[in-house]
Amino acid sequence: MERLISVCLWLILALHLVLRVTGNAEGDALHALKNNLADPNNVLRSWDPTLDNPCRWFNVTCNNENSVTRVEVGNANLSGKLVPDLGLLTNLQYLALVGNNISGVIPEELGNLTNLVCLNLSINALTGHIPTTLGKLTKLRFLRLNNNSLTGQIPMALTTIVTLQVLDLSNNRLEGNIPINGSFSVLTPISFANNLLNFPPSTPAPTPLLPVSPTAPTSSGWSRFCSYHHC
Amino acid sequence: MIMVLHSRVFVLLVSVMVLLLLGCTLSFATKDDIECLKSIKASFEDSFGYLNSSWNFNNDTEGFICRFTGIDCWHPDENRVLNIRLSDMGLKGVFPRDIIKCKSMTGLDLSSNKLYGKIPSDIAKLIPYVTSLDLSSNNFSGEIPKNLANCSFLNILNLDHNKLTGPIPPELTLLSRMKTFTVAYNLLTGPIPVFRTAYSVDSFTNNPALCGKPLDQCRVTTKGTKTGVIAGAAVGGVTFAAIGTAIVLFFYYRKVSVMRKKDDDPDGNKWTKSLNGAKGIKAS
Repeated sequence: MERLISVCLWLILALHLVLRVTGNAEGDALHALKNNLADPNNVLRSWDPTLDNPCRWFNVTCNNENSVTRVEVGNANLSGKLVPDLGLLTNLQYLALVGNNISGVIPEELGNLTNLVCLNLSINALTGHIPTTLGKLTKLRFLRLNNNSLTGQIPMALTTIVTLQVLDLSNNRLEGNIPINGSFSVLTPISFANNLLNFPPSTPAPTPLLPVSPTAPTSSGWSRFCSYHHC
Repeated sequence: MIMVLHSRVFVLLVSVMVLLLLGCTLSFATKDDIECLKSIKASFEDSFGYLNSSWNFNNDTEGFICRFTGIDCWHPDENRVLNIRLSDMGLKGVFPRDIIKCKSMTGLDLSSNKLYGKIPSDIAKLIPYVTSLDLSSNNFSGEIPKNLANCSFLNILNLDHNKLTGPIPPELTLLSRMKTFTVAYNLLTGPIPVFRTAYSVDSFTNNPALCGKPLDQCRVTTKGTKTGVIAGAAVGGVTFAAIGTAIVLFFYYRKVSVMRKKDDDPDGNKWTKSLNGAKGIKAS
């Protein structure tokens, strides 16, 4: 009988520990980000990893299931680098870290955030290439990477994101050609200004008739602008 | 020492001035965007008062125009217009030329208003980066400007339900990104140019004098018939003349050859006669 009780207690303890670990994976991911950033203004002081989940942290929003949907920390004097752990926030819809001094590369793990609607890392000090994996963000509407020091080419994979409404890659050091197919058909030189890119000739060269592409955006783009939220 | 200080201050002042000037030109001139919207507001008769209430230029915090009805900005805290959407707002006036100051604008929807006058003939100068242009359901008159062909980023062009006259400029077929094109319910005339994309009948319907695919074939006009008759008559006349000449020549040469044969015989008789004559003299 005593054996049975002790076994039960151990089981409860083990289960509790396991639950605590899995329940906090998203909090851990954000905490890893906090550890990788310098935060002189202590903007992230509410990011306490001992809590069950990060849903009560400032600048963090969760859904009804306590899963993180928004992380928005703008103009907070943060520096340091982003972390691959961010890719674990699978329900994330808005990631906005505008106007800080964040350096390093854009982790390719961000391509795992398939629910992402807004990615705004503009006005920072990011370097390296735009990861091709961002092409997996099939619900992305706003991609703002302007005003960084990004280099390399614009990944063709981005042209497959049919939901793309606003793309701003201006003020970087990107090079190569500007794609004009797929979702990039509605983009103009404004999205690519102040880079080292090759602009297509002003009078478009005659191209063979393009078949109706399933990846082309649908014609009426207006309706999607209704939820043009801060991004 | 004081001299050195003065010159240093001077240099500092000049540098600050230069930097300020540079700053003004390098930025996307967001002040222009404010002027753009001010002019648009001033140029329209705002009969429902929507613009009057929402477009308030007194509060000028960062990105204040981004909160205006119908305005989408590139970035929420920067006065740089991305789209202007003023559909069905009871607006009356002509196409606002000052829209040229909204230098970063890519979307313009002025549909279902009471706008009139011509679509500017230099429209590509006013809205060079437009990707979606909807002027449908207004009272625009005059012709479709061929300069629209220079709006090379156009994906959507809606001009339907207006009073536009003249032809569809064939130059519009150069718009390589155009996916939607509607000019239905206007007063357009002439043949529909051959576009890269085959637009449906719905794009062109209700233009009584518009013809060609996907509408009915263009019929030859009366002017064309006259030319045809003249041409046909000329060809027929020449052919007839040629045949006639051939017949005449045929008969002529036939006659000539018959006459030639008769000439041959008299020569032969004369010889015989002369021989007989000679013989006769010898005999006596």
